[in-house]
This record gives sequence, structure tokens and C-alpha cells, in this order.
Amino acid sequence: MLSRVAENLYWLGRYLERVENIARMARVEHDVMLESGQEIWHSLVSTTASNQLFWDTLIESPELTHSEFLIHSMQNPASLRSTLVRARELARGLREHISREVWEEINALYLFLALRKEYIANDIHEFCTETQRRTQTILGLYDNTVLRDEGREWFRCGMYLERADMTSRIIDAKYHILLPGEDAVGGAFDRFQWMAVLRSASAREAYRRMGNNEVDGIQVAQLLIFSQEFPRSLAFCVQALQRHCQLATTQTPNRRRAAAERGIALLHLDLGATDMDQLIDEGLHEFLDGFQQRLIEIDRAITDNIFRAEPNAGAAQRQSQHAVQPNANVDQG
Amino acid sequence: MGVVMANELLRDYQTAGSSDDEMFDEAGAFRADYRDLGQTLQGWTLEEHLQREERADLSLLSAGITFNVYSEEEGTERIFPFSLIPRVIGAQEWSQIEAGLKQRLRALNLFLLDVYGDQRIIKERVIPGEIVLGSPGYLPEMAGFQPPLGIYAHIAGCDLVRDKQRGMVVLEDNLRTPSGVSYVLENRTVMLRVVPELFPRQGVRAVTDYPNQLLGTLLSVSPADSTDRPRAVLLTPGIYNSAYFEHSFLSNQMGIPLVEGSDLTVGDDDYVYLRSTTGLERVDVVYRRIDDDFLDPEVYRPDSMLGVPGLMRAYLKGHVSLVNAPGAGVADDKVVYRWVPEIIRFYLDEDPILPNVDTFSPLIASELDHIRAHARDLVIKPANASGGYGVLIGEQASSAELEDTLAQVEAEPRNWIAQPLLQFSSIPTFDGERLKPRRADLRPFVLSGRETWVIPGGLTRVALREGSYIVNSSQGGGSKDTWVLNEEPA
Repeated sequence: MLSRVAENLYWLGRYLERVENIARMARVEHDVMLESGQEIWHSLVSTTASNQLFWDTLIESPELTHSEFLIHSMQNPASLRSTLVRARELARGLREHISREVWEEINALYLFLALRKEYIANDIHEFCTETQRRTQTILGLYDNTVLRDEGREWFRCGMYLERADMTSRIIDAKYHILLPGEDAVGGAFDRFQWMAVLRSASAREAYRRMGNNEVDGIQVAQLLIFSQEFPRSLAFCVQALQRHCQLATTQTPNRRRAAAERGIALLHLDLGATDMDQLIDEGLHEFLDGFQQRLIEIDRAITDNIFRAEPNAGAAQRQSQHAVQPNANVDQG
Repeated sequence: MGVVMANELLRDYQTAGSSDDEMFDEAGAFRADYRDLGQTLQGWTLEEHLQREERADLSLLSAGITFNVYSEEEGTERIFPFSLIPRVIGAQEWSQIEAGLKQRLRALNLFLLDVYGDQRIIKERVIPGEIVLGSPGYLPEMAGFQPPLGIYAHIAGCDLVRDKQRGMVVLEDNLRTPSGVSYVLENRTVMLRVVPELFPRQGVRAVTDYPNQLLGTLLSVSPADSTDRPRAVLLTPGIYNSAYFEHSFLSNQMGIPLVEGSDLTVGDDDYVYLRSTTGLERVDVVYRRIDDDFLDPEVYRPDSMLGVPGLMRAYLKGHVSLVNAPGAGVADDKVVYRWVPEIIRFYLDEDPILPNVDTFSPLIASELDHIRAHARDLVIKPANASGGYGVLIGEQASSAELEDTLAQVEAEPRNWIAQPLLQFSSIPTFDGERLKPRRADLRPFVLSGRETWVIPGGLTRVALREGSYIVNSSQGGGSKDTWVLNEEPA
């Protein structure tokens, strides 16, 4: 498969997953804000983008609210809209690698967003629900209409890597509630916050079905970090990333894929060798921060060694490519 | 067949000269090829027409069938305005057009082979050498090179218009990277979906074979030493190019990789390779949709980020085939065009089946005099621009514009041609209120490989403004489906 195409499919997976996560988090935060009367958008801004950029942008546009910055602003490269515009741009360049259904649905979502010239705060709920629903439709269509070739594995790699990152950020945004010594630990506001975390990760039903009667921060973090069954947990995503990366690189020379595979395998092993007690002792925030850092390293290994490696062209290369040609036609399907 | 009873759609259908409309004859009755279509339209209310127009536009927009407009902000996309009323061509007339196009492309390919070979046509003084060798499309590095099968212009788009006196005439040839064929295929898809009731009883010729024919053409010119599974790719300038949709569409339809310049590399062995996640893979045929100038920064524009360094070296060694061949532009030069009838006679010893438009070149003294004397009746065109830019229509220009252009013509005679203003035909086109006559041209696509093949019909482009002669999409033109009837109407 063409390196550029592989890289763009990987990023299409990342961006679509990011759009869905921002929409979900924004919808939950919107509800929380209405009920609690507390302005908590700033925590979401720091989860997804940079606070500094927000304050810088505010100087130019003093009317800008946190929620507009997060959802609609094109000045924020991590906003829902910016991310979607980039995803759609990539999809335009990948039309022969995705099905017509997937393309039309991505384009429809783009038109749905692009046609909204103005940002209306009261529309957040409807807007985010619709975006989330459409993104899920795209991911479902992708799974059911796109050829299961190398490209699809890269798409999945991007999706799971992004999801692991996003889930870790959702927990990180609320980690301080778990810190000992704070007054309201275990109180009603806490439960309210943890319910919001579960909803932000689409995990409320899963949490209940795991047999948890109490809404308890430790149990919530346990589910979102270690569950082997919940498809948004860190452990689940890393395992999926490992599987899809292996499938994507079956034809890739060892020296090109080694760094990425080693990074993923070590992360998977380390997660398996840790438990909740240890995380509380050693600091949840430090753990999540380190986890995100390792995802960045894995991303870099995939990008530098697989997508952008500079092979030598020459007579020797020509001989070997003739030998592998029948297998190398995966992207012609 | 009497005069047509006008419904709300066709009320006040005023044709510019009333005799140059494709649907109606001079007496105001439907022409035979349009009779079925016209009768169905008479049964439509305005509301029904509007609904179908909207469905068609929505279908094109959601499919992302859009083009980029250079003059606007980067990334600005528009749908190519689509008009539901098709152009209809009878089976008999079509077979004439088809024969004419095949003849023309056979001759033009022989001309190119000669220009870069023995130059017999210059030695025998059929066309002045300075016109051929002075063409910006002439590439000296191609001299003496013989491409596979001796073909330069594998994919051609010839622009035809229907002239009141002479019938279908060739307005210009596009032999470098003609675009628009994806709209032919997509327009048909939309028509089948939105207005199935309009299709005539005898059916229309299908256009869906184009991608298969195109792939066959590409592979037919693979280098002699390629494997038994040659690999073709489509080279695009990228997503900001105005024809990007088409590049993506065609590569998808043919199942070949769509690549950008940076996806290809030329090895020490002077072969062309694709950068893949598993290593390098040889490329045999490059269907390039970038201009000659940008192909290879080692040979042409060094600032080109679109091309592939070393590509010309690989090509001239016969290690890869380029489609169309570099240098084909010398044969679609608007000045060389003036000599195409002579070119056809010279190589084929046949009379042209499709006539040229009378064309005057200011390089010839008597023709320069004619241009000066009849400027108001002429269209003066830059010889080497496309997209309808820089065209001056004598009868519509101000005196100052006319003087200015004539001064340029005299200063640089190689860069200009003049032609009479053709009263070319109109086809009913919806303007938001009702159907109005709008002028249209036709671009059939001709493929030349082992055999020559013409798409049945082609792209009908229509001027959307009243009285306008400019049909180019970049200047606000629209398109229509083109129907070649399977057989003559009863």
C-alpha cells in the first residue's frame, strides 16, 4: 500500500474518533453545567487543547466562550469543527480507498457542520448528539463496506490509538477528585462528577453491568483503565492497537516495523502488570501522563519508521520487488 | 407535427435565431430526436421540474462531485451546475461524428510522430516549420523518441459545436490532459436516478465502459520489459487541483493507485517506483494529470513540487510510459489547429469528415489583414490558454478593448488566432423560472491505443447566462447529460 495513503487512513481513523469523543464530552459537560450551574468548560478545553491558545484567541475575539472555542472555532486546531474539516479533507484524498457510503456520510457530516455559520450555545445538545450519531454511522459503515486490507488496519490503528488517548484524558480531567485529603470525597457532588465521566466515555451501562452498585471513583477508573471487555478502556484499546498493527504490517520488513511493535507490546505488558492500588499509590495523574507520552512515542515510531522511511531504490530493490509483486497488490482491490 | 403547445416550462421559449435550437425546428415543432423527450416535458409542471432539479443538485453535492475554482479562496468547492434537459444525438449523426473523430486522432498522432521524427510535413512545406517548432507545446528533448505503439495523444477531448450552416464542427482539440469525463459518467448516474421517465423508448448508448477502455489503453502502451502484470498509476497534482474529483473517480473506477509526485521515486537504475509500506514497487505506466512543465523538476520547472525528479530520464530510456506523452501539446496548439485539415489530407489522403472552424493566423499576411478588417465579426483568442480566459468577442468588446487586443495580435502574432463568431446551437436549460435556450458545446473523449475508441456522446457543456458563448466550467458554465440514441426514432 502507498505509504501516504496508509498514513492518511491512519489519521482519518484518529480524526473521526476524536470528533466523536469531543462531541460526547461536550454534550455531557453541557448537561452537567446546566444542572450544577458550574462553568466547567475550561477543564474540557485543557483536556483537548491548550489553555494558552484559548487565552490568546480571547484577546482577538473577546466574545469567545469556552464551548464555542471547543466546538466551533476554526482558530482552535483541536476544535470539533477543525478536526472534522481535516478528516473530510483527508477523506477527499482517499476516496478510492473508502466506500462511496463512507465518503458520502463523512461529506454529509461536513456539510451539516459547515452549513452552520453561527454558533448557538443552546444547540449544543442537539448538535453534539447529531455529530456523535453520524460519526458512529461512519465508523459502522467503514466496518461493513470497506475492503479488509492493509488500509483498513491502519484506519483501525489510528482509531484505537486516539481512543486510548481520549479515554485517558477523560479520566485525567477528573483525577483530582481521587486525591486524598479533599473534603467532598465520596459525596454527592463526587458521584455526580463520576457519573459524568462514565457518560463521557459511553460507559454508564457497562459500569452497571459489571456489577457495581455504588458510583465510586476507584471502580470507575478500574473500568476505564483495566477492563478487558469494555471497548473504550485503555487496556482494550492497547490490545486492539497491537492486533491491528500486526495485521497492517504483515508485509512490512522487520526493521521498519520493530520500533512500533515493541512500543505497543511493552505498553500492553506494563498495563497487565499494574493494578489500581499501585496507581493510587504512585499517582494516577503521573500514570496517565506517562501513558499519553508512550502513545506519542508509538505514533512517532509508526510515522517515522513505517510511513516515512526512505528506502533505497536500485537494481537490487528491483529484483526483490518483482518477487513480492503478487502480494504487494493489496491496494488494487 | 404541429407547433408545440407551450406549458409553463416552455412558455416564451425564445430562441436566439429560432433556427439554431437543438430541440425545436424553425416552425417551432420538436425535432425528431427530441420528440419523446419534449412530449414528456410537456406533461411536467414547473413544480415537478423544480423538485427534480433540487434532487439532482443534492445528489451531486452529497456525493462531493465538486470542482475547485482557482480565482477563489483555496479549497473553495462548487458543484458543476447540472442541467436536467439532456442533449440528444441521433444514431446516424453520431456514427458520422465518431468516424470523424477517429480520423482526426489517427492523423494527429501521425503528425506528432512525424514532428518528433523525420518532420516530413515540414520538409514538404505543408505547414511552416516555425509554427510547429515555435509552439510552446513542442519539446525538443522528445525529438527522435518513439513512444510505445507510436502514440502520443492516448486520451483526447475534442470540442465540437453545431454550426447553423455546417453541422458539427471541431472548435479545438485537447491533447494534453483533457478533463470532464467523470462528469459524463456521474451525470448519467444522476439522470437514471432522478428522471428515469425521460429516457426514450429505444434507449441511449451506455457510457460506463469508459474506465475499462481507458485501463486497456493505458496497459496497451506498457514498456516492452514490464512484467506480465504491468502496473499503471494515476498521477495527480493533489486535492487542491480543480479536477481532483475526476482523478480520484477515474483511479477508483480503474482500480489503480492514485499517486502524488512524492509517492513516486526514480531509482539508480532509472526505473520508477511507488513508495509503499512494504518497500518499493515498480510502476510501468503513469497516467499523468499534471502538465509537461511540472513533470520532472530535473528537466522542466525546477520549482515543481508536483513532479518526480528523474521521470523524464526513465521515460526516455523506455522504462516507464507516460500518458499522454510529453510534447503532445504541439498538436493542440490553436495555431497548428488551423492546419489540421491539411494534416489529415497529408497523412491519410482523406478529406476531413468533421470540418474545422475557419481560422485566421496573423502569421500569414493576408490573414492578418482579414483580422484587422473584420475584427468586429471575429472572436480573437490567445493561442495558448485554456478555460476560456483572454478570449475577446469582437461584437461585444469596447473599442478600447478591441484596439488593445489588435495591438497585442500584431506584436505577438504567434500567440493569437481569430475565428468568426459561431452562432452555435442552443438547448433548453432551466434558469430557475422556466426553460430558456442556452448555447452548448460537446466534448467527446477519444482513446487511442491498439485501437481507437470514442465514448458515445461526451460532455455537453452549456453557457448558463443568456446569450453567452462561454461554456467553460471555470467561468460559470454547466453541464448536461448527452444521449446518443440507440437507433433512429420511429
